[in-house]
Amino acid sequence: MVKVTVCIGSSCHLKGSRQVVEELQYLINKNDLGESVDLGGTFCMGRCGENGVSVTVDGDYYAVKPESVLDFFNDVIVKKVK
Amino acid sequence: MELFLETGFTSLNKKGEELCGDKVEQFSDGETTTLVLADGLGSGVKANILATLTSKILCTMVSNGVGIEECIETVVQTLPVCKVRQVAYATFSVVHINREGKGWLFEFDNPEAIYIHNGKCGNFDRKEYNILGKKVYATRLSLSPDDYIVLMSDGVIHAGIGMLLNFGWLRDDVMEHLDKNFFEGMTARGVACLLAGACNDLYVGEPGDDTTVAALRIRKVSKVRLMVGPPVERDRDDFYISRFLEGEGKKIVCGGTSSQIVARHLGEKVSASFEFPDKDVPPIGYIKGIDLTTEGVLTLRKLLELSEAYLSSSDLTPKRSKKRDGASLLANMLFEEATHVTFFVGQSINAAHQGLPIDITMKLKLVESLTDNLRKMGKVVEVNYD
Repeated sequence: MVKVTVCIGSSCHLKGSRQVVEELQYLINKNDLGESVDLGGTFCMGRCGENGVSVTVDGDYYAVKPESVLDFFNDVIVKKVK
Repeated sequence: MELFLETGFTSLNKKGEELCGDKVEQFSDGETTTLVLADGLGSGVKANILATLTSKILCTMVSNGVGIEECIETVVQTLPVCKVRQVAYATFSVVHINREGKGWLFEFDNPEAIYIHNGKCGNFDRKEYNILGKKVYATRLSLSPDDYIVLMSDGVIHAGIGMLLNFGWLRDDVMEHLDKNFFEGMTARGVACLLAGACNDLYVGEPGDDTTVAALRIRKVSKVRLMVGPPVERDRDDFYISRFLEGEGKKIVCGGTSSQIVARHLGEKVSASFEFPDKDVPPIGYIKGIDLTTEGVLTLRKLLELSEAYLSSSDLTPKRSKKRDGASLLANMLFEEATHVTFFVGQSINAAHQGLPIDITMKLKLVESLTDNLRKMGKVVEVNYD
């Protein structure tokens, strides 16, 4: 099980965390990964200065922009699952 | 048991009029509340002046303990005489009541006030008096918790005349409508809005007369404590949080960092929900032992918008929201359920937020406007800056 946590604090909300969440939910369903990815949210991670929405994958930090969710999903989450 | 008086009103202007010919005036010194609804003769500017004078004079004099006879004499001698009709005239209803629910209701030519007791509409046992040749009805009030007094102008019972209905709806129909749609715990503002909304429907959105409903409710005190933002003194977090937690009432935490330090203090974890019932409002969170946890500035900004709509006397949207986003949940707790609200505003600066539209000045301004609006709603508000 891969644990993916998306920040939904104020700053990340402004940077588009809702789009990131919705797109990840969509991609996870589409690729049938619901069983192997545990998607969750958290309040401020304290890294508001980063250029993108704060996301952690099994504890590793990534800053993800709404327009690059697909790349992030393929490069990080899919690889991790495999 | 500590009781609290709550008032609220809704006004619809006659179609095409800028000004309302009905006027609600109220005054409360915390112990005694005076609520006046006056309806001026005619409509537009003239009616507005008559209603404003009448309501202001009555409210000021009655709240200062002047006898009703003297008040009416003053009104009669003050109102300007209408050139067209050769009379000076405004109808009125006056409630003067203390926090124990004891007081008086005086009515002159307005539709008879409705008394809601145990969730059912009824009549007051009123007595007729002749004061300066005017028939004034007086009722000695003795209300129990969650009783309501509903005052209205004649626009209410005339709603729909010649449009949807031949003769408007009768007082009995008004009561039946209230009985059907009233729910327990409704605020005074909610009741006023419910009835005025029904009138607006009967008028098909184009009121043929100024229509005003004012309600007064006596209720139990209900306190809410709200923490927004972490305190400046980082190493004294625990002191500030225990002060926030130890008081009586429901607890609300607004803000990501605040919720984390409160959770740490309680030895709990914050879990964030993942639902976006409203796309502008970030999801809420959960901390065991805290009644509501939300994000900070963005939610408060939305809450301020909701408070403006709640206060607007012409806004007809139902006052209790069924929406599940953080701002709507906050609105229900603060506007609908609370009588007393205590704020704990932390002024610690989040460096990463500076320059963004969510920085500390924004937060402080929001809190200020919000407390102003809560006071306008009649809430007892206290603000602590930490």
